[in-house]
Amino acid sequence: MTRDAAPRPDAFTVEVIRNALTAIAEEMSLVIMRSARSPLLREAGDLSSALTDAEGGLIAQGRDIPAHLGIMGSTVQEFLKRVPKSRLRPGDVWFLNLPEVGGNHLPDVKAIRPVFAEGAVQAFAVSLAHWADVGGARPGSYVPDARDAWQEGLRIPPLRLFTSAGPDREKLDLVVANVRGGEEREGDILAQMAATRSADERLQELLASYGAATVQAAIADIHDQSEAKMRAAIREIPDGVYEGEDFLDHDGIDDHPIAVRVRVTIAGEEATFDFTATDDAAKGPLNATPFTAGASVFYAMKAIAGPDIQPNAGCGRPLKVITRPGSLVHPPWSRPVVGGNHETSQRMVDAIFKAMERVVPERLSAGGSTTSGLLLFGGTDPRTGLWTTLYEVHAGGEGARAERDGGPTARPHMSNVMNTPAEIIETFYPIRIERQALRPGSGGRGRHRGGPGQERHYRILAPEMAMTSMVERTVIPPYGLQGGEPGLPFEIVVERADGRRTAISGKTHVTLHAGDCVIMKSSGGGGYGAPEQQAKGQERT
Amino acid sequence: MTAAWRVGIDIGGTFTDVVAVDGAGGSVRMGKVLSQADPVAGIVTACRSIGIELPAASDIMYGTTMATNAIVEGRLAPIALIATEGFAEVLDIGRQNRRELYKMAVTPRPEPLVARESRLEARQRMDAAGAELTPLTDAEIARLAAAVRALGVESVAVSLIHSYLNGDHEARIGEGLKGVVPFVALSHQLNPEPREYERTNATVMNAALMPLVARHLEQLIERLGARTGLHMFHSAGGMASAASIASRPLALALSGPAAGVAAAAAVARRLGLPRVISFDMGGTTTDVSIIVDGRMHIDSNQRMAGYPIRQMMVAVETIGAGGGSIARQDGQAVRVGPDSAGADPGPACYGLGGTQPTVADANIILGYIESGRRLGGSVQLDVARAEAAFAPLARAFGTSVQGAALGVRQVANANMARALRRVTIEHGVDARTCTLLAFGGAGPMHAVSLAREFGIGKVLVPRFSSGFSAFGCMTAEMNYAEQRPLHMRSSRWDATELASIAGRIAERLKEPMIKAGCAPESLRVAVAGLLRYTGQSDAVEVPLVAPYDVLATDRAFKATHERLYGFATDEVWEVDTLRVTVSAPPKQTLATLPAEAVAASTEPVARRACWFDGDQPRETPLYDRDRLPAGRKIAGPAIIADTWSTVIVEPGSTAWADEHAHLHIDLEGGRK
Repeated sequence: MTRDAAPRPDAFTVEVIRNALTAIAEEMSLVIMRSARSPLLREAGDLSSALTDAEGGLIAQGRDIPAHLGIMGSTVQEFLKRVPKSRLRPGDVWFLNLPEVGGNHLPDVKAIRPVFAEGAVQAFAVSLAHWADVGGARPGSYVPDARDAWQEGLRIPPLRLFTSAGPDREKLDLVVANVRGGEEREGDILAQMAATRSADERLQELLASYGAATVQAAIADIHDQSEAKMRAAIREIPDGVYEGEDFLDHDGIDDHPIAVRVRVTIAGEEATFDFTATDDAAKGPLNATPFTAGASVFYAMKAIAGPDIQPNAGCGRPLKVITRPGSLVHPPWSRPVVGGNHETSQRMVDAIFKAMERVVPERLSAGGSTTSGLLLFGGTDPRTGLWTTLYEVHAGGEGARAERDGGPTARPHMSNVMNTPAEIIETFYPIRIERQALRPGSGGRGRHRGGPGQERHYRILAPEMAMTSMVERTVIPPYGLQGGEPGLPFEIVVERADGRRTAISGKTHVTLHAGDCVIMKSSGGGGYGAPEQQAKGQERT
Repeated sequence: MTAAWRVGIDIGGTFTDVVAVDGAGGSVRMGKVLSQADPVAGIVTACRSIGIELPAASDIMYGTTMATNAIVEGRLAPIALIATEGFAEVLDIGRQNRRELYKMAVTPRPEPLVARESRLEARQRMDAAGAELTPLTDAEIARLAAAVRALGVESVAVSLIHSYLNGDHEARIGEGLKGVVPFVALSHQLNPEPREYERTNATVMNAALMPLVARHLEQLIERLGARTGLHMFHSAGGMASAASIASRPLALALSGPAAGVAAAAAVARRLGLPRVISFDMGGTTTDVSIIVDGRMHIDSNQRMAGYPIRQMMVAVETIGAGGGSIARQDGQAVRVGPDSAGADPGPACYGLGGTQPTVADANIILGYIESGRRLGGSVQLDVARAEAAFAPLARAFGTSVQGAALGVRQVANANMARALRRVTIEHGVDARTCTLLAFGGAGPMHAVSLAREFGIGKVLVPRFSSGFSAFGCMTAEMNYAEQRPLHMRSSRWDATELASIAGRIAERLKEPMIKAGCAPESLRVAVAGLLRYTGQSDAVEVPLVAPYDVLATDRAFKATHERLYGFATDEVWEVDTLRVTVSAPPKQTLATLPAEAVAASTEPVARRACWFDGDQPRETPLYDRDRLPAGRKIAGPAIIADTWSTVIVEPGSTAWADEHAHLHIDLEGGRK
């Protein structure tokens, strides 16, 4: 590279290149949503796109899922430790899902494509997609009672599935043979490939019109700008050591809450997040990787300190994350992690919020549905004879804020996955949605009230379906802030065809039969400020 | 007998523009009047201002911001919604995602457009194959009708689960509401696609616009009489009949802006300009859009005021800054807009009672517009009133009125620069490689300084720049389109059935066009399918060509899929939706419009003192735009004006007219 010789591009050029890079990442998400086959991708949008620099520093991301976006950089960095750049070729697309390769959990499969110009790798395009099934002990690859990593599904180390000559058929067949819904999965793999291809083409245009040296200089400048802004934002928070904790309901095996504890040190323009006091690694699948801890810290500080700062590797430079090996958020690689990705990652954000309540309460929202609220339905559709897996996440009420009530049913923090419309569920799965409505009275009281959760009723139409739950906030409810009351917790009830009703756990699996109905009630948001303040002349309905 | 005029009209927030050509194509007229509270009266006045009484018009081609403003300003009629039992709160739940990833202060989604107490649940249900699961009884219809009557609304949206497969229950409820409310919007007619939240929202927005739009069209048609054809400009850049608009008024969501962009695209194609930013600055708002290779950017996934719209619309960035935008002091800063003096009272210089300083007042203070000039007959511009309005601002900032006026212009330009940024660099297009195509009353007065700020090297002010959207309405291709779900699989292909359906739709579409005087043999029919692999979400558009051979269609689909997504497989695909478009070539284009016969002259008609920076005015020559010979270069500073438009050629730029009477302005130091 001729980076040293590059003149520093003017501010206008940097601005154009910055926006072009973001547009490329956003377009990747559009390409995959439009061409993918599984409803989880094309309807719910459980996917993310990003560009990193040649060393794995995040440059630009789509408007996707923070839990994904926070591990894009570490995925490329760890990938490069296993696959040296000398082995990369133009047109390669490498797939992987191993959590230890900078990642989070097996269902989130990453496609990495090196982008070449002037004979060298200039950037990486990364397309992450949540596969509705990645093999393992149970349909949908969520095994609530898993005790090791191998029960959770097919483990894919960096594997070159495409070269410039096209797909590597044998490797592709090996992957597809080991997951359920093979044809749908192959369609999703092609869609991920297509997303990285579109990024490659657009980047080639950009590199050709400005030259690689100018683009690289602009990227360096973009990172520096975000770093400077994040440092300035941290300076505005009073120095000090702040501690916060929140709890997971249980890990699906041992029936007791698990503590997530953080010690936040704000010192000048740098911040350290020390999770050492968090409980030990769980037996069940609630463990989170240290890369996920980094994603949680990145999100929390963006949201609290710098919501307007362009998210890239520069934002992360003044942030330090400490995890204790052997703990819930730095487990041995043999431990299961599938739920930790979206449950424990959210609880880390909650712990950080509770730590920061002492200093910047006016910037925070009270507790929301910081869980995926995931229900997985698997079974053969009698209309087609084909196996189907519905992966559906449920939002609860938004936490209230200093200036307003919480809104109804919204995905908070690390997630932003959409619901699958009832009409799409009924078209593609042997399920009827009998009701989807708000859950009245579920928001916590306060000077401002938490938002209401929702109810959804799933009537089973197939002779038999398996259902798995991966739901938190069923025991420990979303918290209030500044004296506000907590919201109601999640509730899942199975009503059998004969009318018997059973409340079920947030981490279990049950067998359902035709006529059974699953009633899902999501949590309400926490209130903000003492409820008495509301009574004094600010009564709301 | 009077000549039959073809009239293009664009009603904006401040002005109503009109362009007319006589039937023989021998004469063209243009006018501009202030918009009136009653849009029908406004149309009558606009036509009269150019000597045309409405009965003499053979066709009125009409674009309006009526629906746009109602949506953006939240002035929608209160309505009721009838949903399937258990689904009345689909509007609150939405897709459960939040609009901002990191900004917690922003509410996750905008408020539903129907109050909860005005949402009713119907006992009925279709299944995913469109078969009736729970019948809809007559008693239930009667109960709903009574409940609607008790609510006292005049418009109702009906959106039932799976109605896009079987609209029978919606249709029966619609029947049952006849005589109860004047307006009913049925989701299976308006947006026959799955996904209950988006379809319900589109239906609700239609229902909420119906009273406003339908009443207006009724009055207009009554006024026009039966012999005048009325064609409405819709959001995707073409024309539709008044009857089809009355039943789906959401198609007008971007009517006004789309007309200007369509005209700009036509100019871009004619002049071979690869990248054009269309910059339409009117009295109230400024609309910016990007045109690449002569094509408008059409997108069916847009939102307005935060709500999904779900129909094909040109992608326009609108900001609340125009000539009428009001300037005010805000601490140590000056803010401009988004509130506008509009047409009533108008900027202070209009002398209609406005006393607050506006962007238009700044332009007259700086000498760009001549004091004493008449606008639209009744308005005589008065610099003294403008200066009086600016005096408090000048005092507050310790400067002259000219200094304050220059400052207000700078702030207004910065607002517009942000919109330019959004449509160009956020799409990865370098604005510096674009031509800024400026129109609307105020566009040509701001274009050159805006271009300089952005590093744009070339500005184009088209002929009829002041009434360019009205001109766009008149020269637009008349096209009518209809689409309907087909769900025909490649494995069960029936070319005869397809031909018969497409043929029936085409005949229906041709009817109003033939009635409007189009020769039947001149009408072109285009059939397209939205195709996808079974199980995919988004479909790709593929032209379907008679005799609708399945193998040819298969090849075309795979080639398109390969081009868009980089792969294609041999799996079963289906024609999800059939789209039939019938179009007639425009009767007028720029090239066929008659040129005015006036003696060419390059001598300035006057000289005026104009301010371009804070210090001193500069002696600036004024040229008559109508008399400027093609090719003759005019160096800035200069002002080139005609009856309706004023083009500021700032110092450091050079202007010349081409043979079509478009004005080109090259900036020093800009890319060419």
